[in-house]
Amino acid sequence: MAIFLILAIPLVASVLSFLVRKKTGSLSFIAVAASALELLAAVVMTLAVSKNGLYSLGNNFSVDYLGAIVMLTLAITGFPIAVYSVGYLKAEMDKGIIGFRRIKQYFILFHLFILAMFFAITTTSSILMWIGIEATTLATAFLISFYNKPSAMEAAWKYLIINSLGLLLAFFGTLLFLYPALSGGHHELITWQALLAGGLSMDPFIAKMAFIFVLIGYGTKVGLVPMHTWRPDAYSKTPVPVVALFSGSLLNVAFLAILRLKLVVDLSVGKEFSQNLLMFFGLASIIVAAFSIFAQKNYKRLLAYSSIEHAGIMALGFGFGGAGAFAALLHMVYHALAKSMLFLSAGNVFLKYSSTKIKNIRGVMSVLPITGVLFIFGFLAVTGVLPFGIFITEFSILSVGIINHPFVTAAALLGIALVFIGFLKHIIAMMFGEKDQSIQSGETSAWLVAPIIFLAVILLIVSFFVPSAINFLITSATLPY
Amino acid sequence: MIIDNPQILFFLETLIFISIIFIHLSKKNSFVIFLYMMQSLVVALFLLSASLKESSWALALVAAAVFMVKVIIAPHFFRDLIKRHQLKFSVSTYLNGPMTLVVLAALTAFSYSSFFNPLVILSKDNFNALLLAVAAMLISVFVIINRKGALSQMIGILSLENAIVSFAFLAGLEQNAGLQLGIVFDILVWIIIATVFASMIYKQFGSLDVSVMKNLKEE
Repeated sequence: MAIFLILAIPLVASVLSFLVRKKTGSLSFIAVAASALELLAAVVMTLAVSKNGLYSLGNNFSVDYLGAIVMLTLAITGFPIAVYSVGYLKAEMDKGIIGFRRIKQYFILFHLFILAMFFAITTTSSILMWIGIEATTLATAFLISFYNKPSAMEAAWKYLIINSLGLLLAFFGTLLFLYPALSGGHHELITWQALLAGGLSMDPFIAKMAFIFVLIGYGTKVGLVPMHTWRPDAYSKTPVPVVALFSGSLLNVAFLAILRLKLVVDLSVGKEFSQNLLMFFGLASIIVAAFSIFAQKNYKRLLAYSSIEHAGIMALGFGFGGAGAFAALLHMVYHALAKSMLFLSAGNVFLKYSSTKIKNIRGVMSVLPITGVLFIFGFLAVTGVLPFGIFITEFSILSVGIINHPFVTAAALLGIALVFIGFLKHIIAMMFGEKDQSIQSGETSAWLVAPIIFLAVILLIVSFFVPSAINFLITSATLPY
Repeated sequence: MIIDNPQILFFLETLIFISIIFIHLSKKNSFVIFLYMMQSLVVALFLLSASLKESSWALALVAAAVFMVKVIIAPHFFRDLIKRHQLKFSVSTYLNGPMTLVVLAALTAFSYSSFFNPLVILSKDNFNALLLAVAAMLISVFVIINRKGALSQMIGILSLENAIVSFAFLAGLEQNAGLQLGIVFDILVWIIIATVFASMIYKQFGSLDVSVMKNLKEE
């Protein structure tokens, strides 16, 4: 029932948003109510999975340990992001940047985007998961071109073409994975279980080829280097709440697809093949992001490169395997919370300064004192400073790596340190310094601060205390890796 | 009507392959659209053959949907785009003609190299056609990379999809009818969105040449 609800709620919310005439308040109410209900459904399912191991709806939909973690992360970040969207769009409407039609378009697509992600997580079919992830591209393309400027159009086109190409390659890889199941004349939906059952009899060459295509394809959506090029462009042009979802949730959903198919290739050729590939792409992402962060002039692009770095850290963790995989999955949760927080804080900065250029942002601490503190809080969390959980997960991943892959680990450590230094340089410039006299001090609205505080509190709590149910889910989910 | 003779399958796959080669070489947008239509027709034929072989109405519906979306609707959208913006000629390529041909030859040779030999396990009878489908995939990716026109890039994506569907048919990896309909619907939505974007790009930049889009480089 909860699976049905979590799919029906965003669909109904999107349809209702379509039917709303002239009342922005109704759109806001639908968004907040829908995301709250989705969160409730996700919590119910997560508890059920931690108790029974699986939560299913017929043969076509099911949530396992891994799915539960990704789903809960999406719902927990989705709720504050929906609340923030209300305040953010109202502020842009007050400034005369957008009108009712744009807000309506935003919420219709926002709910469809959420629906596509929940669909991809809960389906038992790899092809349906592909359709769900492809649907996220289609739902969000118009959100990237939301402001209808030439640069936004360019970013949206780049996003559409690169992601479509990547996803077609992932589709080809996924089809190859299906051949052992299909060779028996299988005409029903092929579940993940059936794929795993066919993994042992899969030809090693085809398994390797399939995984390479899947990793490149879904890796494009994750933003792994060298398929990352759409990410900074799209992030810099898209409304901030949607970017927060890109970074906090979409990345995880695409990663989920890679992780599910990794188990199949591991059965055919052993773990080493997929682990080496993940390590390669992971390290490349960390290094490229580290050097790119130094040169950034736009803080939204800066955060995009930070997401690329973290995607790399997760890939590295799963590449190391064992305890590294546990830390990588926990890292996924921490990153979603911290990065959503950072993007929403960046949204407040943008609303106040009307610029995304770092050189135009000075004195945030005096102009937006609460947002400033939260931004620094997010920066410390995302760069892995104590006492935040990301410190523990990065430390754990590197500790696992240093035993078997000392050079990779050393290079990754260097990259992570460079990210901290580069990030710090920009943050100091933005947070302190002399503010422009024309900018009025004070937070814009409680709607724009409360969701960030909500995320900060959750991040702080889970940094010190991971609930036993979540701990159990992560442990169980990462045992095969 | 059931097409299961390896030679006929190879011939039909050759048509898809050649259509993509000519997409690379064509200067006229209308001819590019015609080529896409032809290759889509072959894909629809493949699916119709599968439906007859299985005596399945559901698969026949899939073949009809593919025909409607790829042979009728998509070309109509693209022609409308050309008419509205008077885009008779497609824009240039990053590599010149001879170099493009060299790359096409190299990609095709790579598809027939020993590297892809293990794919024989998927279909011994249609092995040659299967490798040609791989070549069609690779050169479709090259269309997206090499052509500067937004319309050509769209056709490149759709050709890649056609090449993958033909590969799946030849390798016996077709999905059940429900899933295939889902994929066709996905493609239809993609075509609509991409066409709208192409129109918006023309309005913003006065051209469908993606190399004129340089706003992001300023940042």
